[in-house]
Amino acid sequence: MNFDIGVLKLAGALSSYASNRQSLISQNIANSDTPGFKARDYADFGEIVADTTARHSGMRATRPMHWQFGENLAAYEAQVKSLFGSESPDGNTVTLEDQMIRSAEVKQQHDLALGIYSKSLAIMRASLGRR
Amino acid sequence: MSGMFNSMSTSASAMAAQSARLRIVSENIANADTPGYRRKIVPFEQVFDGQTGTRRVATGQLFLDRSELRNIHDPSHPMADERGYYLGSNVSTIIEIADAREAQRSYEANLRMFDQSRKMATSLLDLLRR
Repeated sequence: MNFDIGVLKLAGALSSYASNRQSLISQNIANSDTPGFKARDYADFGEIVADTTARHSGMRATRPMHWQFGENLAAYEAQVKSLFGSESPDGNTVTLEDQMIRSAEVKQQHDLALGIYSKSLAIMRASLGRR
Repeated sequence: MSGMFNSMSTSASAMAAQSARLRIVSENIANADTPGYRRKIVPFEQVFDGQTGTRRVATGQLFLDRSELRNIHDPSHPMADERGYYLGSNVSTIIEIADAREAQRSYEANLRMFDQSRKMATSLLDLLRR
């Protein structure tokens, strides 16, 4: 049986993306009162996947590890992202409300990934004739 | 999975920093009527952890507010000079209360992030239990 299943890989990539992003957002919130701190976030997961698959089909890659989902997240550096006009006089650009919305999004992405993962496992189990 | 632990420890470091700040604020308010007391300020610094690549928070060296002490007129005070004035503290209660509110708000935000990271880690572990 072939265990190289795309949907499981994609779900695994989304869950690792969500956990890395959660770590980044908690750093933003932790530093919401640190002078000069700039809020950061990753690119959209869709963008990263589209980028990876485009590179995969075009057979162009600077490194072979760019072809796998999930493991190349380090290649996508966090970018400075904040709302316009949110910079406070001490140079800090963290807006708590904005970060809360982002963290809610992360929670949804993580739940989605785990939901897809467990559902796919359930389907595989059903195809094996077990419950 | 390590991302969750990183974010939990980051949130915990921020909660420790905010509660240290709240402690200093309460010291300032307690000493608002102490003659000659200068308001203490606690600065926040980011600490880069190279091993995990996270930016935690720590409180830096305390420093004193250099602004003028208030001149208070009270001839019956034992420290009053011949004109009846003595030097009070430079604590402004309004500023301290605003600072305390900000610390509380940030503390709660970090607590929520901690709770969310914990829930995400638990739901990940639940997959193993099936």
